[in-house]
Amino acid sequence: MTRLMAISPLLVVALGGVLLMLAEAFSHRREEGDVRHTGPSSELALGTAVTLLAGAIMAAAVWMVGPEKLETLPGLAPYYVADRFTLFFTFTICLGGALAALLAGGYLPEHKLDRGEFYPLLTFGTVGAILLAAAGDLLSLFIALETMSLAVYALTGFRRTSPRSTEAAVKYFLLGSFAAVLLLYGGALLYGATGHTDLAGIRAAIMHPAAAKPANLALVLVAAALILCGLAFKVSAVPFHMWTPDAYEGAPTPATGYMAVAVKTAAFAMMLRVLVGGFGDGALASWAAGWPPVLALLAVVTMTGANLVAGRQESVKRMLAYSSIAHAGYVLVAVATIPRASEEAQASVMYYLLAYTVSTIGAFGALVLCGSRGAEAVSYEDLAGLGKRHPAVAIAFTLFLLSLTGVPPTAGFFGKWYVAKTTIGAGLYPLAIVLLLNSALAAYYYLRVLVYMYMRDPAPGAPIAKPMRSGYVVGALVIAGVLVLALGIWPTTPIELAVQAALTAR
Amino acid sequence: MNSIPLEYFLLVAALLFVIGAVGFLLRRNLLVLLMSIELMLNATNLTLVAYNRFRPENHAGQIFAFFVIAVAAAEAAVGLAIVLAFFRVRRTIRSDDADLLRN
Repeated sequence: MTRLMAISPLLVVALGGVLLMLAEAFSHRREEGDVRHTGPSSELALGTAVTLLAGAIMAAAVWMVGPEKLETLPGLAPYYVADRFTLFFTFTICLGGALAALLAGGYLPEHKLDRGEFYPLLTFGTVGAILLAAAGDLLSLFIALETMSLAVYALTGFRRTSPRSTEAAVKYFLLGSFAAVLLLYGGALLYGATGHTDLAGIRAAIMHPAAAKPANLALVLVAAALILCGLAFKVSAVPFHMWTPDAYEGAPTPATGYMAVAVKTAAFAMMLRVLVGGFGDGALASWAAGWPPVLALLAVVTMTGANLVAGRQESVKRMLAYSSIAHAGYVLVAVATIPRASEEAQASVMYYLLAYTVSTIGAFGALVLCGSRGAEAVSYEDLAGLGKRHPAVAIAFTLFLLSLTGVPPTAGFFGKWYVAKTTIGAGLYPLAIVLLLNSALAAYYYLRVLVYMYMRDPAPGAPIAKPMRSGYVVGALVIAGVLVLALGIWPTTPIELAVQAALTAR
Repeated sequence: MNSIPLEYFLLVAALLFVIGAVGFLLRRNLLVLLMSIELMLNATNLTLVAYNRFRPENHAGQIFAFFVIAVAAAEAAVGLAIVLAFFRVRRTIRSDDADLLRN
């Protein structure tokens, strides 16, 4: 039993997923003609949230015991690396997934989408995401990526009868699979060049003198380029972001929130594992000829491009989609800094993702709470005058938008500040300046929501959004809101933990 | 035994991959796009197995290829289900007609 301790967070979530699936299959409320038909959602949502929170708590427990002290199963590494990096990301992913499940508990019954398969899909997607953060071998990395992605494709198309939802699923599926194949082909070439599929072996082989042969070097470079393209697709960096706004807009809002937080966090974990664990030293990690300048360029293009387009959106959901692309750009700045300031930069990535998770899921949750069946909150106009009609909802939305903007004392402010500080400390002044300018640019479209909520009155006769009532959504918003403030006011402890979790770059 | 050099296998695989990629980028039929992705996955499998043949010290490449086949099957199932759902709502399988969501 003790050997299973190290992977207990994953086991808890996987077992919970199986139980949820059974509970869904044996719940008798699916029978046709049931007048009191309320659907299985409520209990399953709670079950999913409890399962995922249990996963997060197990991760914290294993952290306190110390994963390096635990005996693990033979042959587990490198397929599942049970280290503090994995635990930190497991915690973030499970937290985001649990909050998304609570949002779904309110959203799905309200919008008559009450089918129980949402929750097992979400749970198994989270299993894939945890595996992805833990994968130290290209084989388990690919399987984890597909486990997560297939579940999320299905969640995107969950509203089967809606043209927009199915279209979003088609686009997401096609581009997502294409990206996965690029990544896979890159991995196959890397195996050919180095003879290894585990990232540590690849790293050692690249540094080995035999790898300096021109043919091998060219192969490694082509493989690295293909893998970088695949990674950029998955974290939705401009110019590989075309699927993101469409998929985010078409998916049911809780699924959008899940994609924006858990899936993106897992994709960044994969990126760190590959770049630091596989391509961590030698010429590949140098500023002259390696991945850092490519990532810096991606970061600049992503931040600027996403912010410029986000300001022109008329749909708040689509604006939040572009905002999540812009945030990926901020994280990419921190990733590009890693070769100069390894632990600190990695810690800033991890803290930023944690802060981004609670702020973004909160913002999507507030958007869910603003609308009800037939009166969904979609455009800015729908939110006009919300501050007067429903002050509590408006205040919640305000808090999360301020955190996304980066206003103190929220988590978003400290995340951005820490990324900027690390970047300046590493001597990359231009990147830091672009980051700060972009934060100012982003304030425009976040504050525009506040202007509509507090300073505009709805046009007479215009359809206005009516907030829904749901204890689950309110509960999720309270948890997210408390965390946004707590992470912003006491950032020292999470940052110290993140520094401990950083991958070692030898 | 190694009568056919490694490069021949790799060349065929790369050719298949490029055909798949070009098909994916140029064709407009969703089913053909799915087939293009399968073609690229198979090109990857060929690459893995070919490399493994010339690295007989372990079977990492072959094992990898088996997993890729399994994943490709799962991916095809989900992909076809999504395309089917799209077809039921829209009565078309042309990717050009997927134009409700845009800036």
